[in-house]
Amino acid sequence: MFRLILKMAWKNSFLRLSRTLLVIIMIAVSMSMMLALQGLYDGMAENMLDKNKRSDSGDITLYAKDYRLNPEIKNSILDAQSIKEDIAKMNGVKAVMMRLNADGLASTARKSSFASIVGIDLAEEEKFGEFSEFLNSGALNFSKRGALVGIELAKTLKLRIGSKVIFSTQDASGEINSIALRVRGIVQTTNIRLDNFAIYVPREKVSSFLALNSTTATQISISSDDETLQKTLQTKYSQLDVKSFFELQPMMQMMQDMMVIFNSITFFIVMLVVFIGILGVMYVSILDRVREFGIMLGIGMRYKYIRLQIILESLIIGFIGFVLGSIFGVLFLYYLGVYGLDLSEFADAMQSFGYETILYATIKLSYFTNTFLAIMMASVLSVLLPLRKIKKLNPVEVIKAQI
Amino acid sequence: MIRLENVNKYFYKGQAREVHALKNINLEIQSGEFSLFSGASGCGKTTLLNAIGALDTIDDGAIYLEDKNITLLNDEQRTQLRLDEIGFVFQAYNLVPVLNVYDNIAFIMKLRGFKQDEIEKRVLEVATLLEIEHKLDSLPSNLSGGQQQRVAVARAVASKPKIILADEPTANLDSKNSKNLMDMMRTLNEKEGVTILFASHDDLVMSSVDRVVLLEDGTIVSK
Amino acid sequence: MFSLALKNILFYKGRSITTVLLTFVSAMLFVVYVSMMDGSHKSMLENSLKIYTGAIEIYKKEYRDVGGNEYLIKDVEKITKKLELINGVKSYTTRYETYGLLSSKENSSASMIAGVEALKESEHSSIQKALVSGKYLSDLSGNCLYMGDGLVKKLKISLNDELAFVGAASDDSFAADIFKLCGIFKTGSFGFDSTSSFVSRDYFDALMYADNKASYINIKVDNLEDVERIKADIQKALNDDTLEVLTWKTLMKTMVDAMEVDSIFGYISLALFLIVIFFVIMIYGFVNISSRIKEFGVLESIGLSNTNILKLLFYEIFILTSLAILIATPIAASITYYYTQNPIIIEGISEMYKDYGIVSDEIPFDFNPFTIIWNIGVIYLLNLISIIYPYLYIKSFSPIEASHHV
Repeated sequence: MFRLILKMAWKNSFLRLSRTLLVIIMIAVSMSMMLALQGLYDGMAENMLDKNKRSDSGDITLYAKDYRLNPEIKNSILDAQSIKEDIAKMNGVKAVMMRLNADGLASTARKSSFASIVGIDLAEEEKFGEFSEFLNSGALNFSKRGALVGIELAKTLKLRIGSKVIFSTQDASGEINSIALRVRGIVQTTNIRLDNFAIYVPREKVSSFLALNSTTATQISISSDDETLQKTLQTKYSQLDVKSFFELQPMMQMMQDMMVIFNSITFFIVMLVVFIGILGVMYVSILDRVREFGIMLGIGMRYKYIRLQIILESLIIGFIGFVLGSIFGVLFLYYLGVYGLDLSEFADAMQSFGYETILYATIKLSYFTNTFLAIMMASVLSVLLPLRKIKKLNPVEVIKAQI
Repeated sequence: MIRLENVNKYFYKGQAREVHALKNINLEIQSGEFSLFSGASGCGKTTLLNAIGALDTIDDGAIYLEDKNITLLNDEQRTQLRLDEIGFVFQAYNLVPVLNVYDNIAFIMKLRGFKQDEIEKRVLEVATLLEIEHKLDSLPSNLSGGQQQRVAVARAVASKPKIILADEPTANLDSKNSKNLMDMMRTLNEKEGVTILFASHDDLVMSSVDRVVLLEDGTIVSK
Repeated sequence: MFSLALKNILFYKGRSITTVLLTFVSAMLFVVYVSMMDGSHKSMLENSLKIYTGAIEIYKKEYRDVGGNEYLIKDVEKITKKLELINGVKSYTTRYETYGLLSSKENSSASMIAGVEALKESEHSSIQKALVSGKYLSDLSGNCLYMGDGLVKKLKISLNDELAFVGAASDDSFAADIFKLCGIFKTGSFGFDSTSSFVSRDYFDALMYADNKASYINIKVDNLEDVERIKADIQKALNDDTLEVLTWKTLMKTMVDAMEVDSIFGYISLALFLIVIFFVIMIYGFVNISSRIKEFGVLESIGLSNTNILKLLFYEIFILTSLAILIATPIAASITYYYTQNPIIIEGISEMYKDYGIVSDEIPFDFNPFTIIWNIGVIYLLNLISIIYPYLYIKSFSPIEASHHV
């Protein structure tokens, strides 16, 4: 019996080809566009989040107690080296790095600008956040007073590979000290503070430049998936400020939340309109066949089979629309995932706001599963109203009805 | 006034299921005739009617409406011809469901640009003739089958066409309504002088007309 | 045909109501969203513009790209004399900007220090208005420094404290001096407030050997809309290949571009909604018409031409669209107008997005009748396009086929 009903449902769905095709195309086009947009937005957000974490604060960062209020070298962690080594041995810690930062002035022969010197250990940074991936041009080379420079800072000071730049600041003894550096590489992290102000130099060089002990650091950052780690560290190092990524960058959390809200609203509205579309077609399709259903009831077919047939018809249309939409969606997302949306015409603007010039989309299974559920639900709900009409049919009256 | 010369029509020409629906039809119909094309199902009577009414094209031969060869006209011209000179009554679904009886009758006249007072006068005239003047405000869905057909006839004759073509107009009516309809159409034919051609295999229609053209398998058997 | 269209609309209520509702929603969405987008962009731009950047600025070529003392404007008077004659130039002021190190007892920091003409500057930028404590500059304020509050915090100083300045003069020689903090300002632009200080030109020129020199000349215009014309006039009058005259559109290009990217994404999202709604309107129209094929068949038989059918479909969709628009437009326009006068305030948004240069917590809408008109126009267009496929569908039937349609 079921197979017969399925066959009838299948054939009826395509009885009015134009009508059915229109609905299928509607579902497919709406779905694929929505998926593409969602993938792009998610890709942007995830990329930014990921890069921000990898370029600076990781999942958890430790500072000296007063550092965040007064980011000066007098508020650094003195025994940072041993703390770092201890943390590295802890459970759930994927990688640890420490940096020594100081604000000051960067000058070239022609221009000057506010800048921050960032003392790093390349090997540590590589393990921590794949630092080499941030390299925009040049090489990760510190030889012969080499330094790496943030991309926006390079633009401000008109620095190119090989340019000379002098960094001046007050060292630990209160003296104003300068160091001459040569730009070996330009770094883009999409972390705005770093891209606008950072000059990366080997940490030992920075410590001696600032007249500090080489075990000193202004921040210790940890990459970890362990949700309980922060609490553990706060207890263990109560003399330090232990903060999570989102605590340090509440804006990132807000951006994430806004992204979720926006995507949900879009999804809801699109699915609602799709529902209205399916409703329209199914309603008329059923009304057209009132006589036929009346006859079927008359010859003894049970209502529940008719209901099943109609629901199947709607599901078939919805399903085919979903499949077509998925194919387009996958193609769209694949293209955007591999080749990306090229906005290099707006390169300067994109970089200044911390975005890359080419936006890549993510593909998530949830896009498809969520959409599938929504479309199937819309299909079933859309036939409830017309079904009520059929339930109330009196076969004799229907057959008798004027043509 | 209507002349058919060696008219041939095929369906599915060139295909395996080709049908020679009209075979070398030669026929003359005078102005003011009240005649019938009759025959068994599939004999070609409806096809013949449609050809004369410029509703369908023919493959061979010529059809003249008052010495005008209508087979040479293009789609637009044929539509205009149907508007200006030919009235139709079909078996069912004649009327526009959203318009009341008055507006349905007035429809063609409005399309042709008749003046408001002309339309009013004429609608009342034909409605009275067909005994539906008391239903002018009703929608088709509130009329009986017989009444609907009478409205269809009223519309067909309202703009004073030269010919009215009626395809199985009594097929959905009971005998009383059928007789009624035929009587009224006869009256119209006499009063207005409009040529009325039927396509039907209803005996009642056969007994009401002046002339029967009998068709069999696409050819005229008797005139 | 028109009255028939009207009657069809009243008769086929399902289609009519759905079409009107969907059109209403899409019109409201379009107008309000675009208004909000345009408004927030405009306000971002304006807020940033009035802080410091000029409507037009004159630079020596290469100063912006390469920089350095080599590309200072060296004969300022010659230029400013010509500016006085140009129609549309409201006023001008010259600035000498340099970077140096400022040190207090506790701290030191880099700063942009600009020698400005105090009185004129107060009309060209908002630094005087942004005063929060102490005094603004005057031509006689000597070594008084007027500093952004972010920088003041960094240096940990208070009013009347002294600061040591170290930098390079316009001839590349070493320059050093002691300044006194006389006034503190807060514009709200985080970057600006933490890196800028101002001093009177009269004093600074002596220190920097900057008499009759300038980093650039900042120009205020009578009417911002006129800016391109005025720029062209200035270029002609100056007749100097070594100088470049730039409008704010170039000077704030990064921000202008960013707005454009944001707009693009906004329109893409809108397009998604409009397309889905378009499809549904078309589907409802199509379904309505395909169920009337027999009716159309009969009408064509009795002489209704294709043109008339198109007219009928056109009138139907036109009436439905107009009805929805007539209701939606005043409502949408009122909403946008209201929020233009009373911007939405999201507390803390400027703090969160300060890195992006967002200065204010307000999100004003933009009320532009022209924009609203083209928005509505697009909705009309989409709705009109929605009848094309149904019309072609009817046309594909000959009258006989249509009459026999099941």
